[in-house]
Amino acid sequence: MLNAAIPAKKQASKASRRFWRNPAAIVGIVLITVLVLVAVLASVISPDPIAQDLTNRLMPPSSQHLLGTDQLGRSVWGRVAHGASLSLQVGVIVTLISVSVGVLVGLLAGTFGGIWDNVLMRVTDIFFAFPSLILAMAIAAALGPSLTNTIIAVAIVNWPSYARLVRAQALALREREFVEAARAIGTSRLGIALRHVLPNTLTPVLIQASFDIGQAILTAAGLSFIGFGAQPPTPEWGAMVSETRNFISEAPWASSAPAIAILLAVLAFNLVGDGLRDALDPRNTH
Amino acid sequence: MRKRIGATVLLGIGLLAVGVAQNSRSSTLVYGGDFSDLISLDPGISYEFSGGLVTDNLYETLVKFEGEDLSTLKPSIATKWATKDAGDSWKITFNLRNQKFSSGNPVTSDDVVYTFDRAIALKGNGSFLFDEVANMKIGSTKAINKNTVEVSLPKTASPAAFLNLLTFNIGGIVDSVVVKSKAVNNDYGSAWLKNNSAGSGPYVLNRWDQNQQVILDANKNSRLLPRLSRIILREMKEANTQKIALESGEVDIAENLTPDMVKAKASDSKFVVYKADSLRLQYLGMNAGAGSLFEDARVRQAVRWALDQDSMVNVLAGGNARKVQTIIPAGLFGFNATNPYSVNIEKAKDLLKAAGKPNGFEFEMLVPQGSCAAGVPCADLSAKIQADLAKIGLKANIKQIVQSELLGIYRAQKAQMVLVGWSPDFPDPDGNATPMSDYGAKSLAWRNAWNNPVASKLAQQAALETNATKRAALYKQLTELQLEEGPFAILYQPKVPITLSTSVQGYKRNAQGQVRFEKISKK
Amino acid sequence: MLNYTIRRLFFVLFVVWGVSLATFFLSQVVPGDPALVALGDKATDEMIANFRVKNGLDKPVVVQYFSYVGRLLQGDLGTSLRTGRPIIDDLRDFFPGTLELSITALLIAALIGIPAGILAALNQNKPPDFMIRFLALLGGATPIYWLAILLLEFLHNKLRILPGPGRLDAYLLTPARVTGFVGIDSLLAGDLQVFGDSLAHLILPAFVLGAFSSALLARMTRASMLETLSQDFIRTARSKGVSQAQVVVKHALRNAFLPVLTVLGGVLGGLLSGAVLTETIFSWPGVGRYTTDAAISLDFPAVMGVTLLAGMAYSIINLVTDLLYALFDPRITYA
Repeated sequence: MLNAAIPAKKQASKASRRFWRNPAAIVGIVLITVLVLVAVLASVISPDPIAQDLTNRLMPPSSQHLLGTDQLGRSVWGRVAHGASLSLQVGVIVTLISVSVGVLVGLLAGTFGGIWDNVLMRVTDIFFAFPSLILAMAIAAALGPSLTNTIIAVAIVNWPSYARLVRAQALALREREFVEAARAIGTSRLGIALRHVLPNTLTPVLIQASFDIGQAILTAAGLSFIGFGAQPPTPEWGAMVSETRNFISEAPWASSAPAIAILLAVLAFNLVGDGLRDALDPRNTH
Repeated sequence: MRKRIGATVLLGIGLLAVGVAQNSRSSTLVYGGDFSDLISLDPGISYEFSGGLVTDNLYETLVKFEGEDLSTLKPSIATKWATKDAGDSWKITFNLRNQKFSSGNPVTSDDVVYTFDRAIALKGNGSFLFDEVANMKIGSTKAINKNTVEVSLPKTASPAAFLNLLTFNIGGIVDSVVVKSKAVNNDYGSAWLKNNSAGSGPYVLNRWDQNQQVILDANKNSRLLPRLSRIILREMKEANTQKIALESGEVDIAENLTPDMVKAKASDSKFVVYKADSLRLQYLGMNAGAGSLFEDARVRQAVRWALDQDSMVNVLAGGNARKVQTIIPAGLFGFNATNPYSVNIEKAKDLLKAAGKPNGFEFEMLVPQGSCAAGVPCADLSAKIQADLAKIGLKANIKQIVQSELLGIYRAQKAQMVLVGWSPDFPDPDGNATPMSDYGAKSLAWRNAWNNPVASKLAQQAALETNATKRAALYKQLTELQLEEGPFAILYQPKVPITLSTSVQGYKRNAQGQVRFEKISKK
Repeated sequence: MLNYTIRRLFFVLFVVWGVSLATFFLSQVVPGDPALVALGDKATDEMIANFRVKNGLDKPVVVQYFSYVGRLLQGDLGTSLRTGRPIIDDLRDFFPGTLELSITALLIAALIGIPAGILAALNQNKPPDFMIRFLALLGGATPIYWLAILLLEFLHNKLRILPGPGRLDAYLLTPARVTGFVGIDSLLAGDLQVFGDSLAHLILPAFVLGAFSSALLARMTRASMLETLSQDFIRTARSKGVSQAQVVVKHALRNAFLPVLTVLGGVLGGLLSGAVLTETIFSWPGVGRYTTDAAISLDFPAVMGVTLLAGMAYSIINLVTDLLYALFDPRITYA
């Protein structure tokens, strides 16, 4: 937790130094940078992801086809590269939605307490009781398969953890001197929530969010793998693994390339999350 | 020390696993496939493909088809049968053979009456075959004596179609004494028959573990002597799982390998690929209703000129299909082998121009999840079609959804384009001609909002025509009309490639998916 | 303590009610017609109308909800549209498979994850630590279905070291059902061959399923071990000349175990999610595959039944871990 006694600026620069001295975090940042570059430059650096060439199916990686071709003769590199922006978008949008909803709920519950707290947290508890993938699957099935619906489904599964996190922070802050001081000079509850509680919950939320971007990518790809995700011929990574899994013996590159892409993306966000936690929350020596 | 215990335990497990009784392998057949559509093994209720595969070997029918042939009915429980025109109705009589059910009870005419009345009363998914197609009612079947049964049908029904229907699951004769004794709450014993058997077929049901396996054991009282003492149908949904199990010898037969896997196995001396016929047609349905993008017949023709069927057949389906463009599948009376359409982008574009759509348009193509005919993933087939149509300026947005949701939209005439399949309910051209042509039948022509009175009339006439030459001429006329005007683009007629270990002998499968297990042996 | 337990049990009921409400709401927005799910392509309009009447689908939503809750209170989860059987029967058949798989996976995860975490903590910033942390990172990021496909291809198909999909070799007969757990049932039947084969079949899928959790456990154990090792009482013990082994076993492990216990409950819940993907690839007849099949065919009554039971199981597991927590840690008391 932040130490209010030390000026925030000084603390931030200290944290930043700690972060950039952590080799694992730097690897994560590099990986994310590469992913973003690939996503942005996909159409420049890789071939058309949906152009078919039935005479060149399941070709192994070569100078012509960097990562080989799939069962319709489409370039696996082209598909993986174009899929990067989809997966990044899914991860980021899901996390933005779940952070917004979760922080709002947690803040309301934590600062207003009483009936607000009871009702909101019981609703959160219910969402926690669902096995995440099964709930996501049920929502995705009900809404119909599409990438947008996948995002909605995963966001619904992810928000409750932020609500709990922020509420716990808010409760802890309630007793702190500066919050009590603010209350004493007559700041409204909403004012306290926004001015004092919210800024102080940002650190743990940021750490959690950087992990969750990766987890959201993983869950969304899992949904796509089952068939509740992007529509064909969209080059979504999970769907690609699913479509090519029957060729694992004769064309292992076709399913492994998107799977490794998922792995690297998730790994990158986990590394950054670890780095952020170590830097911002030094007491916690993970 | 702990390490050694661990190693010993692992070794022990390994030995036990390897030591699976070798002797049982030669007398047992393990059949790998996707049998997840099994919902009941009651012949009166089961209507799905897998159900047929099982019940056909548990229950005998009055008449049956043999081998791959679907044109000549052969005796089964009935040794003889005759159709008589009784003026206002048809009377069909059957003479039954002296034989026993697996329980030891004799097969009598009472069992036939009970079976048929029961099938109608149960209102199962297949009951429409009896009450709607054959126009039967409870009481239509009468026992003349212990070994003679008579069925009367109204003149609106076709006796030939009725006899064909009898070869299906629903025609499987059940042991009325046993089934009546198991009935609870007026359910005609269907709860019990769901996972028990009471028939005279070559096998009896040992057990059915849902989503796992169906085990059939030789029926000692059967007239048909099975060669193998046990058949195990092992449910494996994943093609890759089936392939692995076939290679390791865990299964002897794999039903659902992908076209590429089949190709690899065909050149492997340890396996044989058996290509069974199928009456299924994979097609694109286009909504021809007023105001629809596909309303103009020329637009539908343009679609047909754009589709690269040869690649679908040879590459996607790996050759396990036949290029077909007419609405009656090969193997049925009235099949029209003409294939006038080939890829011609210019012609297609001209047709679009003539129809007032020179720049093409954008629309939604509904596609089911999973596999389309011939084991081609629907995702791949739809991506191929999308690419073909893009060449003439038609932008198809693929929407792959759950089968039942797709059906809901299609049946409400709300689909723009669908990629689906159709199998006739019985091996007769009418099983395709009427649903696909007669708007009033509220089937496929209706779903595509294609109301063509000439086509409706032709289908109705052809259905009841008894003169073969005249009937053939009517179907020729109808199929050609459909080629020009119809709302369908037929893509291909699949083969069902079955991959067998070379040790399996005597495997045959007809276009209805029936396999006679009693003829199979292992060497 | 008793008071607390009773309060928590009421809470379990509340959660189950909430889950039932949420799934019922979902089932109302499902685009597919349940009648078409059950009856298929060849259903006539009349058959569909009959089905709707028979299943009360023609009634207002509120009435449908109350009759649903009424049936739930009698322990009736409804009938699956896909299998046509009571959902409770389906679950009774499929649940043991999943439990068998999950428990084995949990054991594997604990046997790999906890020792790995301890090893890493004791060798902080040395090669074993880096190695374990790297593997844990990989384990936490690998798509489980790809791991399943890869291991199946190499360990089973290519190298033939381990048996492949399914619970038993096709030639072996499943023992008569007593508990539904093939392992236990085969022992009860005295069939060692089936027992051995069923254990061997568990290894691959359970490892795949447990991989993610073992990564999580390794990280948790490492972190909480490091925290404990840095605390005063450990330093005191060390300064008194207590050996490293004794410090670890007697002091550090006991204290490090608590935070690990809390994640264990969550891990078991996570395993059910993982089972969805693992069971599909390993043709494992369990609840995960059952749910996937149900969701894919829009068999919502079945999906609702599974989520309801899973929610209940999750709440109870949480309750049990909390109570265990109290038992292990005398500092915590529940009023």
